[in-house]
Amino acid sequence: MDDPQRANLLCLEQLVARQLPQGGWPFHSRAAQAAVEPTALTLLALPSTLIRERERAIRFLLQIQNPNGSWPAFVGDGGGGSGFTGLALYVLCRCGVGGKSTDRAIRWLLHSRGWESHWLWKWKFRTTDRRVRFDPDKFGWPWMPKTVSWVVPTSYSLLALKNCIPGSQEGLLQLRIRRGVEMLYDRICPQGGWNAGNGVVYGRPLAPHPDATAIALLALGGEPVNDFVTASLDWLERHAQFCFAPWSLAWTTLALNAFRRASQHLISRLAVIVASDEIDDCATLAVVSMALTCANGLNAFGVHS
Amino acid sequence: MKGDRRPFLPGSLGLAAGAATTALLARPQYHVIRRRERSRVAILSAGSYSENLERILRHGLELFHLDIRDKSVLLKPNLVDYTPGNHINTHPLLVAAAAECFRRLGAKTVLVGEGPGHQRDTGLVLCESGMADQLHQQKVRFVDLNRDELVEKPLLANYTGMKSLWLPRSILVSDFVVSMPKVKTHHWSGVSLSMKNMFGVVPGAKYGWPKNILHWKGIDRSILDICATVPVHFVIADAIVAMEGNGPLNGTPRPLNRIVLADDPVAADATCARLMGLDPEKITHIRAGAQFLGNSSIALMDQLGEPVRAPVTPFQLVPEFEYLRETNFLQRKS
Repeated sequence: MDDPQRANLLCLEQLVARQLPQGGWPFHSRAAQAAVEPTALTLLALPSTLIRERERAIRFLLQIQNPNGSWPAFVGDGGGGSGFTGLALYVLCRCGVGGKSTDRAIRWLLHSRGWESHWLWKWKFRTTDRRVRFDPDKFGWPWMPKTVSWVVPTSYSLLALKNCIPGSQEGLLQLRIRRGVEMLYDRICPQGGWNAGNGVVYGRPLAPHPDATAIALLALGGEPVNDFVTASLDWLERHAQFCFAPWSLAWTTLALNAFRRASQHLISRLAVIVASDEIDDCATLAVVSMALTCANGLNAFGVHS
Repeated sequence: MKGDRRPFLPGSLGLAAGAATTALLARPQYHVIRRRERSRVAILSAGSYSENLERILRHGLELFHLDIRDKSVLLKPNLVDYTPGNHINTHPLLVAAAAECFRRLGAKTVLVGEGPGHQRDTGLVLCESGMADQLHQQKVRFVDLNRDELVEKPLLANYTGMKSLWLPRSILVSDFVVSMPKVKTHHWSGVSLSMKNMFGVVPGAKYGWPKNILHWKGIDRSILDICATVPVHFVIADAIVAMEGNGPLNGTPRPLNRIVLADDPVAADATCARLMGLDPEKITHIRAGAQFLGNSSIALMDQLGEPVRAPVTPFQLVPEFEYLRETNFLQRKS
């Protein structure tokens, strides 16, 4: 079976079967602990015809939202907020959910920031800690409060802030989007693409990661295409030639497709992978499903440069 | 001859920082004592990864008379990322050989688990490093510790002040945890050995990629808290080809042609440090760990294999950690 549509149906069947009673999805198929990332990605992957599953997932996300507007990483996690808040907010906005919940989430995102933006850490990174080279004035979002900005939570947050409708604080929202975009360009790897955070440590360039690169590119959708974006897309294309890991391959497909680069051959490869081996990780299965949908001209991230 | 003073500056700063941190960590802050009277260590020769590693390991493990029957074993290799030609990960052939050995010893289950620190796509690291093929051939199950079910565990030491950590269920329910580090230098902790390898059990799904909160709390402090809370029952350290210089990712391969086995992580790490030409007493987490997690003194170790010999040239380190080199090294060389 290498038909993308049939492969996607198989993915969706498995995802529906793995939905937990409370409406969320776990990472591992055998686990019973729902987590935000697999739930949000699955919600984005489910077609609008699966009304009941989508409604249960939305209800679940709204139920576990922290009082401060952020989302925990998983059920039982503390209330401080996680780097998946941007993803949860983005997905809810894409599902047409608005109101107090999303307003609170936007407010939380606008005030959450990497610690390099604090004057004390700015001073540290400018004077004593020169092992990692970056501009602390260009900051994004951390994985956890009181840590520095990283590429994936920044990209998820940018996707959310660019796609939601703010109730107020439009000026701050535009400022945070601009800072976040600047942070991504500041931390880019010398050859293009993104690692987890910095592109250079101890004077040595770090290798990009395909998933971080793809998610960053999706977050940069709508920005003017520049040399950074082109180099990153070129790197993704080169890396994809030999990539058979479904999570990275699926994110790569979504990004290349969003930027109108050739992706059909990657979709076919994903269909073969789905047919040959069961994907245990629900987040991966959801991203693969979204990538397979690109065969129909649909891109769940809906960005076109 | 006029010397260039510049290289001394980072070294001196590193020495001062190391001394300050060591002093801070000298105060006991643990609620458990895992150190036993004596520890057992075996240094085994292995010329390359193409040797019969299973046979070498089997003979090595026999020296310890381990009772593994009906126990669930979790092997925790060091899988960081994959860069062709870089020896940054525990070699898949060594992991496969260990899995087979523990099966032969009667283990109920053998599981391999890891939660890479930077790379979110564990499947990609498994594929590209060749680990996936080896595990598939051996029919060994792998668990991604970054995305496992999580349980909140009170910490059994209080060096970070974190009080508790969310940890993967798979590691908490295992009867016998084997830390399988790649022997290498580390630009933020000096060395990355069996204790630092346990950073990989801290789940990215909660703490992010990398597990940045542990860096902010202090790497040495975090190592102590994690190792107090998640007992390491055995160590199989991959020093066949080690790494020196700017580890853990960008160092230089350094063949040592050794595998180090130990029933104590502190003893394993102290022995590996000596094999690297470093003084374990200057490595903060080894020195502090020797108070409660194991033995770092050679006098408290039974050497079941080869004797410990420092290399002719000690391992290269980033300037901040050059002070870790054994001080009597030059004397011994002359």
